[in-house]
Amino acid sequence: MNSTLTTICSIAMLFTTPLLSAKTLEFTIDGIKSSKGKIYVQLFKGEGNYQSNKAYLSSIAVAKQGQITIRFNDLDVDDLATDGADANDLNNDYAIRYYHDENDSASMETNLFGMPTEGYGYSNNAKANYGPVKYKQIKFYLTTETVSNTSTIVY
Amino acid sequence: MQRRQLLKNIAGLAGVGASSLVLGNPIATLVNSSTQRKADLLVNAKQAFSSAIKTSPTLLGLQNTTGNFPPQQLIIEGKLPNDISGVLYRNGPAKFERGDQRYLHQFEGDGMINSFTFSEQSITHQGKFVQTTKFIAEQQKNKFLYSGPLSQIENSRNVSLADAVNTANINVIPVNDEIWALWESGSATAMNAKTLDTKRRVNLGENSQYGDKLKGLAFSAHPKIEANGDIWNFGLSPSGHIALYQLSSKGIVKNVGMINAHYRGKMLHDFLITHKHILIILPSLTANSVNDSSATALFKSFKYDENLPMQVLVIDKQSLTLKKQFELDAGFAFHFGNAWEETDGTIHFDASINTNVDVMDELSELMSGKLRNLDNSPHTALFTLHTNGSTTKSSIEGDSEFPRVYDHLVGQRNKKLYTLSHTESNFWRDTVCCLDTDSGEKDKFVYGEDFIAEEHIIVSNTAKEGEGYLVGTALHIPSKRTCLNIFKADSLSEGPICRAWLPYHIPLGLHGSFKAS
Ligand SMILES: [Fe+2]
Repeated sequence: MNSTLTTICSIAMLFTTPLLSAKTLEFTIDGIKSSKGKIYVQLFKGEGNYQSNKAYLSSIAVAKQGQITIRFNDLDVDDLATDGADANDLNNDYAIRYYHDENDSASMETNLFGMPTEGYGYSNNAKANYGPVKYKQIKFYLTTETVSNTSTIVY
Repeated sequence: MQRRQLLKNIAGLAGVGASSLVLGNPIATLVNSSTQRKADLLVNAKQAFSSAIKTSPTLLGLQNTTGNFPPQQLIIEGKLPNDISGVLYRNGPAKFERGDQRYLHQFEGDGMINSFTFSEQSITHQGKFVQTTKFIAEQQKNKFLYSGPLSQIENSRNVSLADAVNTANINVIPVNDEIWALWESGSATAMNAKTLDTKRRVNLGENSQYGDKLKGLAFSAHPKIEANGDIWNFGLSPSGHIALYQLSSKGIVKNVGMINAHYRGKMLHDFLITHKHILIILPSLTANSVNDSSATALFKSFKYDENLPMQVLVIDKQSLTLKKQFELDAGFAFHFGNAWEETDGTIHFDASINTNVDVMDELSELMSGKLRNLDNSPHTALFTLHTNGSTTKSSIEGDSEFPRVYDHLVGQRNKKLYTLSHTESNFWRDTVCCLDTDSGEKDKFVYGEDFIAEEHIIVSNTAKEGEGYLVGTALHIPSKRTCLNIFKADSLSEGPICRAWLPYHIPLGLHGSFKAS
């Protein structure tokens, strides 16, 4: 995808233009402690966009105690994957970060040191450990099949 | 400071942005891959300690504590003064071992609160572990689950917030009708003052305008309680910023500030107040840039820099903003006794100061049974910060640690400073001392090398320096018992007027407080 398209998609946030193949991602969050507020989920395409905080897609779901599954449809996948190439070699890496906006403030609450005080999590069920999570811990690849990924929220 | 402005300032903090959801944690910088080797270190430590104690019985006080101590009346020698009424609380690391592993540093042990309740005729002791989330989880699994500030545990559970490994093991203060067990890098833990049962992790901003904004912040282990009851404290953020807190005597936050201290030393233990200012004294510690990926634990992440002056940040108590800075000779101090200020703004304070931070390694070796020589001990230095920006320092001969002053003089002019030092013993503090800061005279009592003296504190019903008692515990090595000692505060050299014995010993602790009833 060229950079103009990326920018447009980031701004639009809610839809994207399939290039080669359109695939589905199902992301399941469990351990949600209450049905208060909303769950904000951000999907990033590639490390650069993650680091510069440019979400590829965002989704907001009503919080539900226990578990929710969020579905992203029509995601770009380079079709080369079907040619037997290793998916890991392609630009098909994505990552998810989310938080539980319990107080409906439309932002993740942090304490004065910048540490989250609302529930949050990442794809691959990655957990922060003595510092921020690394992109390589949270990235996953889309293939031509529907991909599922899960995370247990940390409060 | 207006809340809005504070929050705005805070928003500018390093990396609150989404790509750094969680900032570096003060406990460690990374968890590394070579934990297998590290786990072996913990097994070695346990074996080394258990063999060392056979030939060095003085290591008794660092033995692992396996359970709580139920209420036990002490046997009293001498006459128990009838004007002491209340409870002496002490805190310190007590749980050092699980399975075949032993922590590599004393400061890693889970905290235990020991209380000594004074009534007219008797003293009753009990001791209970602080039920932190870490302690509860590790009790259930009967093994260490989390890497500590030095010990690296294989397959350690993740730590996203410092409170996950909060051991609540440094100090304890009375707040309202509770006691708070204090750590350095996370929240206070509230406990029942009578039963010592753990109640909750304190969310400082609760019941105040701050809401959850203070949740999980570092609330250090040496708060200063002013005569009016206000509780002052600080907390170091991993980014080198320092939060400043003013709480009411009920433990409700009145004011919070934040300064960027640009401090890279990672460890900051104590601070001071005068009647007008907060003094943050940054020791000569700086970040340790290590190539060795194994050296990523907190206690390996800083080092002493003899070319780095100590810095004193003078902060206005009303606005919580930085007013003035002073540089002092390079040094390191865990503890300060007191600070006070003359009407012209000249500030005086004392420090138990050293010119290295080797004590951190020495305390680690001690955990493996290697006794440390107290030749490398801090001494008392009296500093003056002049209004023209110059400073003077006068050093008091002899070693000193665990400085204390009268409660009513915190932030006010004190003339007496109570400390511990070593005289007959090469390895443990065996002496209590009262320094007259005007004359330099000392009033001392030497327990002798059969005893290990712990922090002694002043218990007095009057707001008059020199009146009342000095009270403290000591471990008697030959009989393996802990005793509580009561001195007249103005005549330590006469020895304790009363000594009360437990039939057993309790682990050597760090700090405590007396809550009068
Ligand atoms: Fe201390």
